[in-house]
Amino acid sequence: MALANADIRLSRFNPLPRILAFDDFDDGLHGWCELVGNHNGDLNELQPVFRDMRPAQLSTCTFFDMGTHGAVDGTYSMKLATRPRKFHQAVAIKRLTSAADGLVQFEAWFTYKAEQTFGGDDPGARAWDGNYHPSEAHFGSFTLWNDICEGTTPRDRYHAALRYENTNEEGEFTQRWLYKTGLHPTTRMLREGFDSNQNDVHVAKPDMWAPIPGGDQQLCFNEVPTKVNWHYLRWLFDLSTRRNTELQVNDLTMDLRDIPVLRFEEGYWGINRLLNLCMDVRTTSNVRNFLYMDSVVISADW
Amino acid sequence: MRHSFTAVIEKNATFHEDFETEPYECAWASEARWFIHVAELEGDGAGLSARVQVSPDGLFWCDEGSAFESMSEPGMYSLAVRDFGGWLRLDCGLDGEDARVRLMIYLVLKE
Repeated sequence: MALANADIRLSRFNPLPRILAFDDFDDGLHGWCELVGNHNGDLNELQPVFRDMRPAQLSTCTFFDMGTHGAVDGTYSMKLATRPRKFHQAVAIKRLTSAADGLVQFEAWFTYKAEQTFGGDDPGARAWDGNYHPSEAHFGSFTLWNDICEGTTPRDRYHAALRYENTNEEGEFTQRWLYKTGLHPTTRMLREGFDSNQNDVHVAKPDMWAPIPGGDQQLCFNEVPTKVNWHYLRWLFDLSTRRNTELQVNDLTMDLRDIPVLRFEEGYWGINRLLNLCMDVRTTSNVRNFLYMDSVVISADW
Repeated sequence: MRHSFTAVIEKNATFHEDFETEPYECAWASEARWFIHVAELEGDGAGLSARVQVSPDGLFWCDEGSAFESMSEPGMYSLAVRDFGGWLRLDCGLDGEDARVRLMIYLVLKE
């Protein structure tokens, strides 16, 4: 902590003793890359939901009405952008392995936006009233998640996923944090006949998400699609207990220790000590959705 | 050392009509090179064209001025661009009867 406080760029974080990565997107994407599913060299083998996860971008947050917004510090942030197609999802991943069991913490300064639209047909949306802007209803969700494997025996592999759902599948405001109650259908499971909607990388069906107790939260969308306000987020999980520990987003801290984390029944070969950190943005409208990260710190107590 | 980044803009995508690629932010880069890997191109008189487009905001676009030579058979094609501002995309045209193209499009950026 003393080190973090002495560094002006780190002092807005609360890292665990060992910083594994400090990803300030003013100087590159730091290994956050597009997620691609498993294939045998033939991309036709990819699961439909994994075929088009989109490359991350270094964004200046530039908008048509006011030019360049920039980031918390410097000019650039990492941007994930969906296509303008309902339920499209853009996913970035950073691939590490773990040297020990113990706590891992992901911290970020982030914001999220829907793309500016002009006039057009937007049935059901509340009209602009000088404060509320219909753009907020164009934003679906963003999700933070991991992909962990402690070894190769069954139940060693699991994903913890925490989603901020701004609007549900019907496009209605829900503005709450969710955890998932169903397994991410792997390519291997699908090849064995597992039924999946193939429009969410996390689950097969939309009812496989459940609200986190105490997880209702309105964030600072700030009215229009061209104003960005950066939010602090801290997610702590424990490799030794195979559980989430807590999620803090600004002034809300959620205790996640009783939230179940589903594990795969089968063992996985060749991914020992897998420690992947992932994030995605998913639109529930035919409008591009954006997730921006000014900076990320990944730290551990080992 | 100069930063560089390769983005897969279209991945094994199949098109049956004209299309534009998704907007991609590139303000940090001073040079870019597009690659189009045409894996399959089918249809009577089928041909693929691609013009570079630029934008101040990722919303409204105009031609940058350069374009790929017309592509009429599978293969790898490439085009370099400079002085493009903050955004790049390709405006692609697919000609021919019942034409169909399957391709990869890469954008290679360098500081």
